[in-house]
Amino acid sequence: MILNTELNLTLRPMQYPQFFKLYKDSIKNIWTTDELDFSIDFEHLRDKMSPKEAHLIKRLVAFFATADNLVAHNLVLNFYKHINSPEYRMFLGKQLFDEMLHVETYLLLVDNYLPDPVERSEAFDAYRSIPSVKLKADFCFKYMDSINELDKLDTDQKKRQFVQNLICFAACVEGLFFFGSFAYVYFLRNKGLLPGLAAATNWVFRDETTHIDAAMSAIQVIREEYPHLFDEQLRKATENMIDEAIEVELAFCSDALSLGVSGISPNMMKDYLMYCADNRLVQLGYPKKYLTKNPFPFMVLQDVQSLTNFFEKRVTEYQKGFSATKQAVVFDEAF
Amino acid sequence: MHVIKRDGSREEVKIEKILHAVNRACRGIPNVEALDIAKRTISGLHDGSTTEELDNLSIATAVMLMAEEPNYSKVAARMLSESVRKEVGRDMAFRDYLKRASEHGALSDRVLGLATEDFQTIEYAIRHERDDLFEYFGLKTLVDRYLLRHPETRKVIERPQWMLMRVALGLSENVGEAIEFYDIISQFLYMPSTPTLFNSGTRHPQMSSCYLLTVAQDSLQGIYKTITDCAHLSKWSGGLGVDWTPVRASGALIKGTNGLSNGIIPFLKVFDSSVHAVNQGGKRKGAAAVYLEPWHADIETFLELRNNTGAEERRTHNLNLALWIPDLFMRRVESDSDWSLFSPEMAPALLKTFGPEFDKAYESYEREGKALKKVSARQLYSRMMQTLAETGNGWICFKDKANLRCSQTARPGTIVRSSNLCTEILEVTSSEETAVCNLGSINLSAYVNQCKFDFERLGQVVERAVTFLDRVVDINFYPTNEASSSNKKWRPVGLGIMGLQDCFFKMGYVFDSPEAKKLSDHISETIYYHALKTSSKIAKQKGSFPAFKDSRYASGELQVQLAQPNQPFMPELHYDWDALARDIQRDGLRNSLLIAVAPTATIASIVGSYESIEPQISTFFKRETLSGEFLNINRYLIDDLKQMGLWTPQMRAKIIESEGSVQNIEAIPLEIRAKYKTVWEVSQKTLIDMAASRSAFIDQSQSLNLFLEEPNIGKLSSMYMYAWKQGIKTTYYLRSRAKTKIKKTTVETPKAVTAEEAVACSLENPETCEACT
Repeated sequence: MILNTELNLTLRPMQYPQFFKLYKDSIKNIWTTDELDFSIDFEHLRDKMSPKEAHLIKRLVAFFATADNLVAHNLVLNFYKHINSPEYRMFLGKQLFDEMLHVETYLLLVDNYLPDPVERSEAFDAYRSIPSVKLKADFCFKYMDSINELDKLDTDQKKRQFVQNLICFAACVEGLFFFGSFAYVYFLRNKGLLPGLAAATNWVFRDETTHIDAAMSAIQVIREEYPHLFDEQLRKATENMIDEAIEVELAFCSDALSLGVSGISPNMMKDYLMYCADNRLVQLGYPKKYLTKNPFPFMVLQDVQSLTNFFEKRVTEYQKGFSATKQAVVFDEAF
Repeated sequence: MHVIKRDGSREEVKIEKILHAVNRACRGIPNVEALDIAKRTISGLHDGSTTEELDNLSIATAVMLMAEEPNYSKVAARMLSESVRKEVGRDMAFRDYLKRASEHGALSDRVLGLATEDFQTIEYAIRHERDDLFEYFGLKTLVDRYLLRHPETRKVIERPQWMLMRVALGLSENVGEAIEFYDIISQFLYMPSTPTLFNSGTRHPQMSSCYLLTVAQDSLQGIYKTITDCAHLSKWSGGLGVDWTPVRASGALIKGTNGLSNGIIPFLKVFDSSVHAVNQGGKRKGAAAVYLEPWHADIETFLELRNNTGAEERRTHNLNLALWIPDLFMRRVESDSDWSLFSPEMAPALLKTFGPEFDKAYESYEREGKALKKVSARQLYSRMMQTLAETGNGWICFKDKANLRCSQTARPGTIVRSSNLCTEILEVTSSEETAVCNLGSINLSAYVNQCKFDFERLGQVVERAVTFLDRVVDINFYPTNEASSSNKKWRPVGLGIMGLQDCFFKMGYVFDSPEAKKLSDHISETIYYHALKTSSKIAKQKGSFPAFKDSRYASGELQVQLAQPNQPFMPELHYDWDALARDIQRDGLRNSLLIAVAPTATIASIVGSYESIEPQISTFFKRETLSGEFLNINRYLIDDLKQMGLWTPQMRAKIIESEGSVQNIEAIPLEIRAKYKTVWEVSQKTLIDMAASRSAFIDQSQSLNLFLEEPNIGKLSSMYMYAWKQGIKTTYYLRSRAKTKIKKTTVETPKAVTAEEAVACSLENPETCEACT
């Protein structure tokens, strides 16, 4: 069972092949920050941004500066410790690498976007000093600290607490906070602004999606193996947690949009977050609750295949992990 | 709520006023709701928005609605056209535009003179209503990057139809001719390439798309001269293809210092940085492809230049990699033999030969023990395939096919040493000659009327297109002497096609069907035939290209004749090619090369067609460009679905959920599904066959992208071997799809799958899961 407290290192016979598959799929999507190019963003920040948009960017950057580090932290301290499946731990190894890559990406972003060293250190301190960013960090800490003390999940109550931590990071942090921030990025991209940030976001978004899927399928396994954990109490707690996450993200939104940015408003963001939250609830096996429609048609663009003009932008749709051997060469395979 | 007007005053926001403007843009367009746009626009406003923001927001709103109803694209385009008119000045006439543009130093004196002579006739010929032909994405591209702007305020000073007229005037000898050409391009029958659209009629008419160079002198001076030349060419918006094979390999001796060379990689690193530093007039990023023959001893490191990991000084993130492969290599791969690697200064004859002479030289160097290293040909081929799979780069081009079928290579020593940035140009280069090509493409979408293809009109437009491409050779501004002298000697041009997919949709053909191939062949044959006829006609008046006597035309060989021994399948012929060859022998030819099928990425989007010779990538896809991301929906599919009453929000969600594929949507009839196969579902073998067949009428080459959803070495090695055997000259990107996907945010999340279902999925996919025991 996946929450057993006795360390499981056995890969044969394989108990959770679905996690192994996630791992295999995800290592085919390896990228590095060398492929990013913020040079056009740099021109846009210099010449094209209104003060209203510049404020939004500053807040976004402040959130990104530390968010992935936080996720990584929880990954190591909690997920890795308690999800007792060697297949899932393989995936977590790759996820940890992804998070570090995202950390490095945003480090690069901050260095590019904020040339002034004082502003840079302020961005990295935002999780303590800018109230709207601090709220988000505090939300994460709350669900992280609550299980920091747990060494072994030897009671149902402890198991439930851990499931909440899983839900918090999958559904709320990656599934709402990040989704919210990506929407601003794509909104700006839709106006033709900051292609470098949008390109970086494409990669990060793809990784985050995989992370959410993996956590959701871990939750699914727990639900099957320990159905009694998923009682009314947990459902209520989950709903409250999601409500709280929406509220926290909206506070961030009113700050980020406090100067007014045409085309996007806190009300639209509210509908969007609720729309995402409904999707998360369904993934968790609960009914929808908010029933709003997606107010951002530009997000449709993230759902469809991309055709890049190679003159203009680097293509992100390649796979890694081929091994070239002489034996692999054949001339009669179907193509 | 208030908006701030252009003069600074405040005004109450009124929905009626917004609605009035939107209504005008919606006139005559079915299935669009002006009220919906107006309401959504208001909800996105905040107190203190400017009226300019308001205009942009209503455009953005219409653009967003395109995801639900493609007709909103036309609405958005009209609003954009209106906003350009406002920006230019509502009362401006063509004459005012000429005056203003020339005051800012934008127009060439010749064009100004020509236009001023008879501006009334021109004014009368300009049809602003043709702005209606644009889809939003096309017009947006034009506005963001093609229309002339005020040098300081950066405001647009040119309307779309004026721009097309400026382009036409820039290439014309008189006003009548200009108007005739304007009519062709403004109705999207033909479109010149991007550099021509940027620069025709201006003071710096650099109108060529591509340059091909070779680092002919293997010395510091020679290498840096090429890099400097490239910087100059790139500045004026040309793409570069550079042959690096002549530069000595790592470990070779440097006589001057008695040290050992570090090979080509460190220089490619410098070149990479240089290309990145020079952007094309602020309009697009510089871009270059570097070519290497696989016998060069640095080939293995070369293949890794685009990898993500490894020592940074051996990585070039901006260069595109291409391989210039002799037939001998492919034969060695086939027979599983060894392959020798040389440094060029030890094997100089390899640089001067192709075909059987190359084979002879190569084998005698092998016998003399000149090789630095021996590898297994298959192992090296496998690594090429790996590079393709992982980066899409390392384009496979066949040196011998390219040379044996090139009109320019009749004399020994004249050699095509590389292709260009997009692998459709094949022209001779040397230390004295930088090859240049001016391009333009026929928009095949515009020739289908009620399921009939208009070959006669095609012939007429080809005649005009070639005439005007030939003009470019004389009017063009050449950034270097090598480019100028080469282009005047050979006068090559590259007439291509785009919208082949649109043409098939309009005809009702399945892309990989026999009738589609037949039509595609007939189109290419017609274009080549009329292009040659026109070029020969011009030669009679103005003379042949100076090197005519040194070309294969002198002995009566056209591409059709050259193709026969080199490609296994010849298409059916509709014209008397032997007669034409004889006529050309007698009358001469104005242009050494005429046909090249370019990728047409940008101009196809301007005219709203699918790119080049390619099948659609998906029925729903987004284009990512410098101006933003744009949704592209297959209008033909939606029209068909609407006619059957199948176009519903549920259907739309289903199509997005299945990545824009309709193959597994049971509600759609099978014949409709077949018609809308995406490039991932079209047989690549057929795609190669179609390209091979068309090659009989393409004297340069075609940018042939190949697509495999899940590439592996086995599939790739089979596919490229097949392409070689079919006589393909060049291939372009290998495209594959990302392994994990971004979550669909706008369609319902499916319920969590159970563990059994998950296992079932992984069983279907044994390649990624050896675990299911």
